[in-house]
Amino acid sequence: MINVTELTKTFGKHQVLKGITTSVRKGEVVALIGPSGSGKSTFLRCLNLLETPTSGIITINDAELTNRHTNIGKVRQRIGMVFQHFHLFPHMTVMENITFAPRRVKGQSASAAREKAIALLERVGLADKADSYPSRLSGGQKQRVAIARSLAMEPDIMLFDEPTSALDPEMVKEVLAVIQGLASTGMTMLIVTHEMKFAREAADTIYFMDDGRLIEKTPPAQFFDNPQSERAKRFLEKVL
Amino acid sequence: MRRTTLMRMIYLFLIIFVAVGALWPGLPEDARPEHHRYASTADAPSALSVGEKGTIVLGTSPDYPPYENVDAKNNGDIVGMDMDIAKFIAAQLGYKLEIAAMDFNGLIAALQTGRVDFVMSAMSVTEERKRNVDFSSTYYVARNTIVSRKKEPYESSESLGGKIVGTQLGSTQDLYAQTLDGIQLKKLNRIPDLIQELKTGRIQAAIVEDAVAVEMTAANSDLLLSFLPPGSTENGYAIAFPKGSALVEPFNDVLKEMKESGRIDAIIDKWFASEREPQASNVLNLNFGILKGYIPYMLKGVYVTLLFTLVSAAFGFLWGTILSLFKISGIKPLEWFATAYTSVLRGTPLLLQLFLIYYATPQLFQYDISPLMAAGLAFGLNSAAYLSETIRGGIMAVDKGQREAALSLGIPYRMMMISIILPQAVRTILPALVNECVALLKESSLVSVIGVQDIMRRANVVQATEFRALEALLFAGVIYYVLVLVLTSLAHLLERRLRRSD
Repeated sequence: MINVTELTKTFGKHQVLKGITTSVRKGEVVALIGPSGSGKSTFLRCLNLLETPTSGIITINDAELTNRHTNIGKVRQRIGMVFQHFHLFPHMTVMENITFAPRRVKGQSASAAREKAIALLERVGLADKADSYPSRLSGGQKQRVAIARSLAMEPDIMLFDEPTSALDPEMVKEVLAVIQGLASTGMTMLIVTHEMKFAREAADTIYFMDDGRLIEKTPPAQFFDNPQSERAKRFLEKVL
Repeated sequence: MRRTTLMRMIYLFLIIFVAVGALWPGLPEDARPEHHRYASTADAPSALSVGEKGTIVLGTSPDYPPYENVDAKNNGDIVGMDMDIAKFIAAQLGYKLEIAAMDFNGLIAALQTGRVDFVMSAMSVTEERKRNVDFSSTYYVARNTIVSRKKEPYESSESLGGKIVGTQLGSTQDLYAQTLDGIQLKKLNRIPDLIQELKTGRIQAAIVEDAVAVEMTAANSDLLLSFLPPGSTENGYAIAFPKGSALVEPFNDVLKEMKESGRIDAIIDKWFASEREPQASNVLNLNFGILKGYIPYMLKGVYVTLLFTLVSAAFGFLWGTILSLFKISGIKPLEWFATAYTSVLRGTPLLLQLFLIYYATPQLFQYDISPLMAAGLAFGLNSAAYLSETIRGGIMAVDKGQREAALSLGIPYRMMMISIILPQAVRTILPALVNECVALLKESSLVSVIGVQDIMRRANVVQATEFRALEALLFAGVIYYVLVLVLTSLAHLLERRLRRSD
């Protein structure tokens, strides 16, 4: 479903990604972990071209993102993204946040979009907040709305960029529960996270990244119980 | 993709602007500049055809009774001695007469750019003017007269030695005063300015022509007039034409006939026998009673001022937004253009831009731009230069994550800008936008110089007609202030509404 070949990204003189090659199959849940500055977020952001790769090839659903002639807008509609800081549209209600793109980009009718939004809000447990503005929501609620907003576009792939890092501890759980629920539906997901317990439980594969390279790519049990590389061992000693 | 979006926005702006222009003739009478038509009765001599429509346009500055002024108490027509003569001549020659009002200083330019066919505005023949326009024979010779305060009277040119003497800039009396030894000359734009300077003692005397002096003293009981002996410096008033105009000869023929038949004298007598109620002067020397009858006339200016402010604010905001998008587009030529544009438009006076657009457009593009459109264009273009910086700041202040969230949902650039980024930017810069609107509303008074009948122009008309300087200005000030209060309250409501999501 996702194929990445020799992906590099350079900011100025600093090379953040130093050649990443991997592929993610349909329905796979990948947790990206590693020390900060290791390039996890940049890698994720390259997958929907929020960052333009310096070199390498990314193919998603047979569409080559790195080809200039690809309609990137179309591809992005199939890839949902959830950010650390939610980025809800503050001048729109929860309902408007969720229905805006389905209506205006995909051309769904107002009633169809609304119906879908209500179903999604129920799924993330916020059906009563449809008419609230984001400023009235807690961090955890905002993040759940952001997830619903992405899902409203009916994506094939969901990208999560540290979805719980900006949350108060007591709200982390409600968000992780939603993501975990999503994983069980067979959605292809890539999640940058510092929640090791969650990564272990939810992910099919752990990507351990350090210094712009993908060091290990193993199932969670093997990674957490028997890491292969020295760097992974040192990292796990620190965080566990 | 960005490029096509910008092009579409440019088209949109062009369409809106052309639509405003197309709607223009449909606007109510009061919004239009002072154009009046008079149908002629006589048959048109076939040899003389200036316009194929058989219409000739007279340019005048209707702030100089009894020669020409706006009949503000009645239907707002332009009346006066010059107008009666012009109507008679046009009828004799078989033309329809159209009167275009403008500032006296713009009359020669209007002749040269072909905006008007001839000018009658108590204009005296001078060597300088002769270089730029052709004159008919003179139809009236005015006498120079000293006006001074009763408390401190001056009755002869000798008595003025060492005194500060006021004249109207560009008038015959101005030229005459320059020949007087030992006086300090102060040139002012308009007769009401002279009256006010005289009353406050900033000038000791004013030299004006007899007809004006009579009106000045009749309207202000503390002033006094003294005729100066007739002299050779009085050139007399004549009709001005563009250089080489075919109208000069036929006009001269009719004038000659009018002088011989005594018709000119009859017209002069009619206008110079003006009657005026004596004004009681109180402590402040203000008499708001004179505004009676003019209030509906002045209030009609509110509509003109608001319409004008709306057009220029909307255009300025739209164009300013496009410019701000240019500035952040990352496309070098667009960035350079927007930066250079802002620099030039902010670096030159608005009044100059207004004059250039109004007078140069017909000459350069053969398009007779209407005053409202010229003013809307000038003010919009100017305001856009300022607003583009404000809006750019507003856009930059919107969290970068908003853009990323929109992009990751597959929302295209234009939709993202219009529905996601700009609403948030506008909310941040709303106070600055309100400031700009308030500034536009007040600066709109500049349009009176090209003859648009806004509040300020109407105040000037009343000043000139009543020969009183302050009352109409104070009333105009009150109107502007009330308008600004209303505008800021509306903005406050809007701001509250936009903040409901906080």
